[in-house]
Amino acid sequence: MQLSNKQALTSKVYEIDDFAAAQELFHSNGWTDGLPVVPPTEEAVEACLEWALMPPDQLIGIEPVREQPITAEKLAINAVMAGCLPMHFPVVATAWSAMMQEEFLLHGTTSSTGGCAVLVIINGPVRLEIGANATFNALANSDRATAVIGRALRLALINLMDVRPGGIDRTTLGHPGKFSYCIAEDEEDTTWQPLAQMRGIPEHTSAVTVMAAMAPRQIMNEWTTDPKEILETFAAEMRANQRHYSIYGGNYAIVIPKQLREHIQGAGWTKRDIAEFVYERARIRRAEWADVGKGAVVRDRGDSVYTALDSPDHLLVVAAGGPAGGFGAIIPPWMGHKTKAVTAAIGACADCEPPKS
Amino acid sequence: MIRVLDPTNEMKAAGTQPALRPPSLKGKTVGFISNGKEGTKGYFAHVDRMLREEFGVRDVVWRTKSNYSAPADQHIVDEISRWHAVVTGVGD
Repeated sequence: MQLSNKQALTSKVYEIDDFAAAQELFHSNGWTDGLPVVPPTEEAVEACLEWALMPPDQLIGIEPVREQPITAEKLAINAVMAGCLPMHFPVVATAWSAMMQEEFLLHGTTSSTGGCAVLVIINGPVRLEIGANATFNALANSDRATAVIGRALRLALINLMDVRPGGIDRTTLGHPGKFSYCIAEDEEDTTWQPLAQMRGIPEHTSAVTVMAAMAPRQIMNEWTTDPKEILETFAAEMRANQRHYSIYGGNYAIVIPKQLREHIQGAGWTKRDIAEFVYERARIRRAEWADVGKGAVVRDRGDSVYTALDSPDHLLVVAAGGPAGGFGAIIPPWMGHKTKAVTAAIGACADCEPPKS
Repeated sequence: MIRVLDPTNEMKAAGTQPALRPPSLKGKTVGFISNGKEGTKGYFAHVDRMLREEFGVRDVVWRTKSNYSAPADQHIVDEISRWHAVVTGVGD
């Protein structure tokens, strides 16, 4: 669909010789993540906006702490740079809008020394339309769509919020998810309800969930078919994270690939059953800090119990991963419940026909 | 020749101006807004002592944010107008 009375783009234009000159311009100005970028031409940016039916000056949101307004045009420029096609842009725009919600705490999560990344989980029909792969290598370089959508958010943080290392971004270590951290749920190969539906989005609606997330911690248990034993391994990894990183409860995601998923599903367990079991099992006493060199902060509260989840609702259970292997992953929150995962439906245009030229 | 667009935010948020600096701290009230992290206790204790002993500050008010990664709570912000100077923005 073509927008009538198309508004002109207003961003500053640079005229450069060729692709190589574009790379030098963007790298020398600190506008990249260190990797090459797709030169954001007017045509490519307009195509993203047309696909999403957004005028260039449409406000995607205002960052609550620094009151920084973000327009569709600026977000689309960064999406193009990341390698996004127009059909990816509605996902990027919805994820960005979700990140701007106060409970996500964008400023804190992107400036913290703790160094989390924005994990994006895609649900609904849009996954199939954009070719997001939820199976092999799900948490890494699984496909084009998730790679560029996750990268678009990072480039937008760098360029629109000045979240550059040593600038607003004060991260001590960070993790590779800060290049791109986006997965799709394998809705076709599970009996479980999709994550977005669990979080209140209507059935068959495309949606994204964003979470300020640390790196995945992989587990392995190929030696049982008992859901309790399998999930005990996940819970143990969460307890390890509580001991070694942060004891405080918040949103955790757990990613369950097909092999382990089939054992759990086969026993009749739902995502809710999983969450309730993990909620009970993922908890430690403060005194356990003394076992891992943190005895100095146990003080007189050694018997206090800390749950990894404030409630079962705080566990994001995601069906994703390759078909074989008794692996899974937990993805811890940046820092307890200071930030909360946000789920948002993708605008009506996510399922629109491509624009006709 | 190709034309590329500036990816940065050219529409900056409305800026703020720093408050006027008091010519002297003698007899004044200074507020501390701590992020609550462990290392701030010793730091602020030292600055408190220094302000009173070396600069003649009359009162030092200590406040701690409820979330160290979020802006100060509104009740703390509301207090600021009663202070002559504020020390904040201290990291880990």
